[in-house]
Amino acid sequence: MAGTVALKRGGRWSPWLFAIPALGVYVAFLVYPALSSLWFSLTNWDGLSASYKFVGLSNYFKLPHDPVVVTAVKNNLIWTVVTIAVPTAIGLLLAIALNGKVRGKPILRLVFYTPAVLPLVSIASIWGWLYNPQYGAINSALRAIGLDGLAQAWLGQDSTALWAVMVPAIWLRTGFPMLLYLAALQGIPNELYEAATVDGATKWQQFWHITMPSLRPAHYIVLALSLIDSFKVFDLIYAMTYGGPGTSTQVMGTWMYFNVFQYYQAGYGTAIAVVITLVAIAVGIPYVRSQTREAS
Amino acid sequence: MTLTVQAPVDLPLETTRSDSPGPKGRRGLVMTLVLAVIALFWISPLALLVITAVRPLSDFIGNGPLSWPADFTWKNFSDAWGIGNFATTYRNSAILAIIKVPLGVLVSAMLGFALAKLRMKFRRTVMFTVFLGLTIPIYITIVPVFIMMRSAGMTDSIFGLIGPYLAFGIPFEVLVLQSFFRQIPDEIIEAAKVDGAGDWRVFFTMILPLSVPALVTVAILDAVATWNEFLFALILLNSDAHKTIPVGLLNFQGQFANNNTGLAAGILIAVVPILIAYTLLQRWIVGGLTAGSLKG
Repeated sequence: MAGTVALKRGGRWSPWLFAIPALGVYVAFLVYPALSSLWFSLTNWDGLSASYKFVGLSNYFKLPHDPVVVTAVKNNLIWTVVTIAVPTAIGLLLAIALNGKVRGKPILRLVFYTPAVLPLVSIASIWGWLYNPQYGAINSALRAIGLDGLAQAWLGQDSTALWAVMVPAIWLRTGFPMLLYLAALQGIPNELYEAATVDGATKWQQFWHITMPSLRPAHYIVLALSLIDSFKVFDLIYAMTYGGPGTSTQVMGTWMYFNVFQYYQAGYGTAIAVVITLVAIAVGIPYVRSQTREAS
Repeated sequence: MTLTVQAPVDLPLETTRSDSPGPKGRRGLVMTLVLAVIALFWISPLALLVITAVRPLSDFIGNGPLSWPADFTWKNFSDAWGIGNFATTYRNSAILAIIKVPLGVLVSAMLGFALAKLRMKFRRTVMFTVFLGLTIPIYITIVPVFIMMRSAGMTDSIFGLIGPYLAFGIPFEVLVLQSFFRQIPDEIIEAAKVDGAGDWRVFFTMILPLSVPALVTVAILDAVATWNEFLFALILLNSDAHKTIPVGLLNFQGQFANNNTGLAAGILIAVVPILIAYTLLQRWIVGGLTAGSLKG
């Protein structure tokens, strides 16, 4: 009975009155710009002049011949693997440790999660400052313990720059998996462990046969969100190394930016953005679908 | 992949799981010590920043970055405040957050309500399209957004940032809010409708008041994201009078490259509001994050 009342009142278009403000903004400032980028990527527009020409897929054909794109793709891949694997592993270990009999949990949690709320630009500033060749804390610490030979211009040389930028990324990205795993660990019923102990299972066996399988949903969310996040990398690299030295820390996001705003190749830059977006969407679709399915 | 937002309560301090039959507390103590050492290491970049910001430059250069200050001063802060133009960037970031966050939460809640509680046609399609926004990198939209804003005369104005910020906040906010609304029993809504309440009254007098925990969580995470956003602000704002904190900090970093203590003070000035807000509100943030998703 009540259900029919709910149906009658409000009318068929009532839901749309609620939906339209958000959908309007979303379409105007996200969907429409993203789609028009598809168009720009097929032109030779420089980003400034009033006229430009349709050039088909030639921007895309140029991509594999651009040595910086090759470097950027490689860097994106290294970035993705390292900034997912390392923070997830550290986050899991911290969560397991914090789930035991430990004092001061709220403070420890606060400490490990704090980097995640700082602006990426400030994280870049902090680490740029720590990496300073003369007065940075990192080289000073190395000198203090007698490892003078290891002190170097971390951000200033090709061989170390990318790895040096990944350290702050790891620092800021460990907190989230830690929190998520901690919440998941607390949802595992005790009885499972008690029963396993009665059956004579070792701690190690309990970890592999109870803890890890129970964490599967958490693994999935951490992995999906980290993957989506990794492809978006821009701020940290832009603010720390500006893609340099040379092109050694360029990723697709920064290379797109430089093409559009420095080299006046908006068409080509947009093609780079389209490629990385398609990869990000492809990677993210299973997650998006799971969230949509969940809801119905 | 359940995505539910509970009222963000602190994770229980003590686990219910009792392991370690051995000497009680010994292992816990060792683990606490190990974690405390790691935590100290983890927080050391921020600790060094604070220590450096309160010492004179001569003391820093004379004794090295790792020494305990021989002398304390507040001068670094006043220098950094003035040269870094922080009065302006603070005001701009604050105005932006004050307009953007409530607006974003309201329109997202409206859409979330339509998706969760109203009989909306194409519901799954709308959900999928909106959630797909979580995977889309900001930089695919920057060229068209830049053109839109330029033709609307809204470049170099913080108001030009509101549309794009809203659009990129909506997917996450709708995702969290609709899943929270779904847990509100249909019966109470139907009862209200029998009493003659329309959809809008149900939304404003029942759904919103019942969802305060979720609304607060979403608002805080959105405020952090708004405060920290960098790429749109970088491309759309050019005069110093209109810059936000992250863009201002980037400029400041360049100017203070050789003044280590001033740079430390400036970075601290930029991050202190976020750190205070996070410390005070962390249980809401933790609740929101463990609820399943994170805005990239």
